[in-house]
Amino acid sequence: MPRQRRLIPILISTAIFILMEIAALNMISSNGSLQRHWIARGAHRIQGTLWGGTEGVKYYFQLRKINRDLAAENGSLREDLAYYKAIVDDARLDTMKLGILEGRGFTYIPAEIEKISRNRQHNYIIINRGSEDGVLENSGIVTGKGVVGIIDAVEKHHSYALSFMNPDISISARLGDKGAVGPLVWDGRSSRRAILREIPLQYKYQEGDTVYTSGYSSIFPPDIPLGTAGASKVINGATNEIKVRLFQDFSTIRYVTVVSNTSQRELEALEDK
Amino acid sequence: MKRVDFFLAYFLLAVIQILITNYLHLSYFITLTILPVMVLSIPIRYSTNAALFIAFATGISVDLLADGVLGLNTLALVPVAFLRNTTISLVFGEEMFSRKEDFSVRRNGFTKVALAILFVQALFLIIYITADGAGTRPFWFNLLRFVCSLITGFIVSLVAVEALSPEGRS
Repeated sequence: MPRQRRLIPILISTAIFILMEIAALNMISSNGSLQRHWIARGAHRIQGTLWGGTEGVKYYFQLRKINRDLAAENGSLREDLAYYKAIVDDARLDTMKLGILEGRGFTYIPAEIEKISRNRQHNYIIINRGSEDGVLENSGIVTGKGVVGIIDAVEKHHSYALSFMNPDISISARLGDKGAVGPLVWDGRSSRRAILREIPLQYKYQEGDTVYTSGYSSIFPPDIPLGTAGASKVINGATNEIKVRLFQDFSTIRYVTVVSNTSQRELEALEDK
Repeated sequence: MKRVDFFLAYFLLAVIQILITNYLHLSYFITLTILPVMVLSIPIRYSTNAALFIAFATGISVDLLADGVLGLNTLALVPVAFLRNTTISLVFGEEMFSRKEDFSVRRNGFTKVALAILFVQALFLIIYITADGAGTRPFWFNLLRFVCSLITGFIVSLVAVEALSPEGRS
């Protein structure tokens, strides 16, 4: 009983202390832009570590189902492999595929998604690769069907990424093989739709034309196919805004590749100058 | 001589801290503060919860009335209040609480008071400098700022602790 009597005031003090510190952090976050970013990154790191841990326990009890899924995935990958082999045999590899195979200053790390949100306005992804696997902050996440997100915070064995289904993410994209370049952003509603903005009015295109990464950002290599162009509308009489149907379906995504630009630091240093 | 109320002395020192923060910019490497020693000097008869509320109110007041990011002083000062009893019992001994006796240089000696001041000052500065830099400043800069601020803060805190001690107020 005496121990309990001593414990209760300590618990109350600790609770008050934690509440006050949260209030102070909240004040700092609302008033300092540097601090807001710093606190957000810290919170993302903690989320990544916590969710990574709980997902590990959950996966242990789901191994049988995971094995089944892996077998199905294996079959699907074999099909894809046969398809791509046929393309190579026909010598019809386009520049994007050559880019991925040859590297061009990018490293590729295969990863598995541990947690993904799809129903929020700001969606995120947690993958099972971290700094010890060579993942760097601001690396891209891609699949064979397009761009998935950008790494925001890296822990030892897990990384937290902002999903492309996020209004803060914009990817430099090109319409067609040699077409106009503009920012591609999520449309905020569907997991399969995006909007390509700032396309000059004089640029003509056909509905169904493929949209690729432009390679003008240091995050993603050029020529990754992202989706197909759809209807357009004129914005302020100055530019076209084109609807894009994405190749990547975010509701079925599981295996991804982290792509890091080996020259990113050098490029950022140049930009800072 | 009439004895000055603790909270009047505490209030005057808080005003001095606001003036220091607003007008006395010695260097980028010096964050001059007497807030930790003020919280450490809160009379022992007040509980940890009371100390937490006093520290929170002091931190917010200084944040609101002085230059800087709102919340920084509060963030750094509340842990000092949370660890105040632990610091006192570790440095001065548990008997301070049973006797409900406030510490002072005359009663407890310079070494113990200096040790307690250095501990709370260091705790405050580590949190303050880390949050202020927000991961953008190099480690050596933060370390140099910590050392310079600790030395200057310690010297000023010795004066403040004397002003807040029972002997200093009488």
